[in-house]
Amino acid sequence: MNAIRFQKVGKIYRRSHLGRLTESVGLDGLDLDVREGEVFGLLGLNGSGKTTAIKLIMGLHLPTTGDVEVLGRRMPDVEVLARIGYAPEAAYLNKSLTGRENLRLFAALSRVPAPAREAKVESMMTKVGLGHALDKRLSEYSKGMLQRASLAQALIHDPELVILDEPVTGLDPLAIKEVRALILWLKARGKTVLFSSHDISEVEKVCDRIGILSGGRLARTMTQDEWRGKPDALENAFAAAVTRTDGVGEIRLD
Amino acid sequence: METIKAVFSYTFREHVRNKVWLGGALFGLVMLAGGLVVSALAADERGRVMLDLGLAANEIIALVSVVFLTVHLILQEIESRSVFLILTHPVRRWHYLMGRFLGTLGAVGAGLAAMGLAHWALLKLLGWGGDGWYLAAWLCSFGKVAVMGALALLLSLALTSEAAAMAFSVFFWILGHFSAELRFVADKSGNALLRSALLVFSWAAPDFAHFDYRNAWHAGAPDPRWMAAGAVYALAYAGACFALSVQVFEQKEF
Amino acid sequence: MRRAPLAVAVAAFALALAVQPVLRERARAFPPLSSLPSTPYVLQDAGLVSGGLRAAAADLAWAQLLQYSAGGLDTMTDAPGRPYDHLKDLGLRVARLDPSFHRAYLYAAGILAWFRNVDRPDEAVEVLREGMRADPGESSYPVYIAAIAFKKKGDTDKMVALLESTLSDPHSPVEMKTILANVYKSRGEYEKALSVWGAVLDDAGAAREWPRARLQLAEIKALRKSRRASARPPARPRQ
Repeated sequence: MNAIRFQKVGKIYRRSHLGRLTESVGLDGLDLDVREGEVFGLLGLNGSGKTTAIKLIMGLHLPTTGDVEVLGRRMPDVEVLARIGYAPEAAYLNKSLTGRENLRLFAALSRVPAPAREAKVESMMTKVGLGHALDKRLSEYSKGMLQRASLAQALIHDPELVILDEPVTGLDPLAIKEVRALILWLKARGKTVLFSSHDISEVEKVCDRIGILSGGRLARTMTQDEWRGKPDALENAFAAAVTRTDGVGEIRLD
Repeated sequence: METIKAVFSYTFREHVRNKVWLGGALFGLVMLAGGLVVSALAADERGRVMLDLGLAANEIIALVSVVFLTVHLILQEIESRSVFLILTHPVRRWHYLMGRFLGTLGAVGAGLAAMGLAHWALLKLLGWGGDGWYLAAWLCSFGKVAVMGALALLLSLALTSEAAAMAFSVFFWILGHFSAELRFVADKSGNALLRSALLVFSWAAPDFAHFDYRNAWHAGAPDPRWMAAGAVYALAYAGACFALSVQVFEQKEF
Repeated sequence: MRRAPLAVAVAAFALALAVQPVLRERARAFPPLSSLPSTPYVLQDAGLVSGGLRAAAADLAWAQLLQYSAGGLDTMTDAPGRPYDHLKDLGLRVARLDPSFHRAYLYAAGILAWFRNVDRPDEAVEVLREGMRADPGESSYPVYIAAIAFKKKGDTDKMVALLESTLSDPHSPVEMKTILANVYKSRGEYEKALSVWGAVLDDAGAAREWPRARLQLAEIKALRKSRRASARPPARPRQ
């Protein structure tokens, strides 16, 4: 059973500026399946379509062509979002709220029943290590604390599918280790985890399968067997699969 | 309903903690105090002047606040990307918009009530006017604020530029006070095209004369049927603007 | 694309349009801005009205009317030999900004009809007629029009009787009271004059007239005393 299915999904961005219409390709006929209960890593360079794919899953974007199915429902579908937890690459939280108010808001939005809400908020904040900062404004949180608050809102309603967009970018090694442990903890509880990353070494430590995106297409998928115990196998596969689309040349060492 | 309540609650809290809003309230108090001084020039009509200036100051401050806050209400959340997180939860877009709008209206209404109460108490203290008419004037001001807020919300979403939305809001605000003048000029105009254009404008723009008890206070008690019809007009006009805002917002990709 | 919000918008807008005739029928209509008399304050009035501040515009115009009548408005000066030349325009300006500003009609008409050296009763009647038309809730305008008519005919008794009938009206401006007091004084009815000036002194809203009231009270008391003295039979010489 697939948790996520992309069927020939294309996404073209059209922008109009001063009467001139420009188009850019976000995804180009993407076919991709993520199975229930697995940890799937989405790898790719900047502009390869990782974030576009995630936004299509979350219903923030509409596909230009093709279909996106999540937990058996065609997206966009508001109801299915109650079963998904999402943490974006940066903590886009309203800084005027306290940690408690923020999580209370997302618990209510995620349909956590009102009587259980307060206890859940406190236990989740404690779980992500912010028990001491419950009543502090988010504007006083450090970057690492905000990242944890963002993880807390993604997990407060005990989702079946967890989507983490660049979860380790900008974190210190200790925090990276904690995120890795969290992903494995979720997997152990039968959750499906999809995360996007640039960091190949992290991906190979936690993923069951990976997909390499390049130019909006799925360039290659690999299973754990293909890189476990084979140093640099994933890195070499990645380098071979992707082509730069950002117009930047290689660093020349000659 | 639960999601609207949750979004309302955090929006209200956000505005209450917003220094711009507090600045507006402070400005209101200064205006009231200024009114005391200015009214001394009106000799034995001092009570009338104090009443008029106070009501006018309250309404202007509330209108400036509601336009400023609603123009930024959604655009700022798009800019800061906090709208991402909200909409990746099971929240219908119109629920989100409704919660944001009502939260803003609630905060501005609370400010209007606080300023109104201070003004009314001052009038009572000085032995001037008051009666139940004050509540009628307050409700009319609030109706105007609701219509202007809904219009500013629509303009902000349709134009996607805060400066343009602000400029158009001020334009409609002025036009709204000129509906009768527009119809008067249309009646006198011999040019059929100009006449039609003016009439269309006078019907399409909000007509703030329907909330103008404040300016008609000295002519007598408020007419309950006029007040009831005004409430229907406020709900219908604000509802139309809000529904159009939903139409625009539902097409947006983030 | 979902069209439901659009349909709701159209239905709501139709309702807003449908309810407008009821609102317009029952609304308080204000004169158009083009009806305002030509004064140097056109921009001030238009600016305030376009911001929805019509009552405040009328209040400001009222304060300027008072300033003008006290001789302190530099922007409007009178032609030689024509005191209060712009009084009618400034009074009508206030009234057309807010037609229910009773005091503006009465104040302007009072000065135009009864002030010494002004004596322009026709202008006063014009102002009061506009009051009758635009401010139907106020009943004293016809009374003052009649009083002016009697004044023009020289029938002071009937004029005084009419002015007396307005004394109990709470909107009756203090100027009308002082006019009546002056008429009493000139007719030698000192007791009545003292009573009106005394009422002015008791009226907290008429504070700006208190200094004049005190002077008048002292003056009228002196006049009364001298009249009593002259009315007393001369003392017989001692034998």
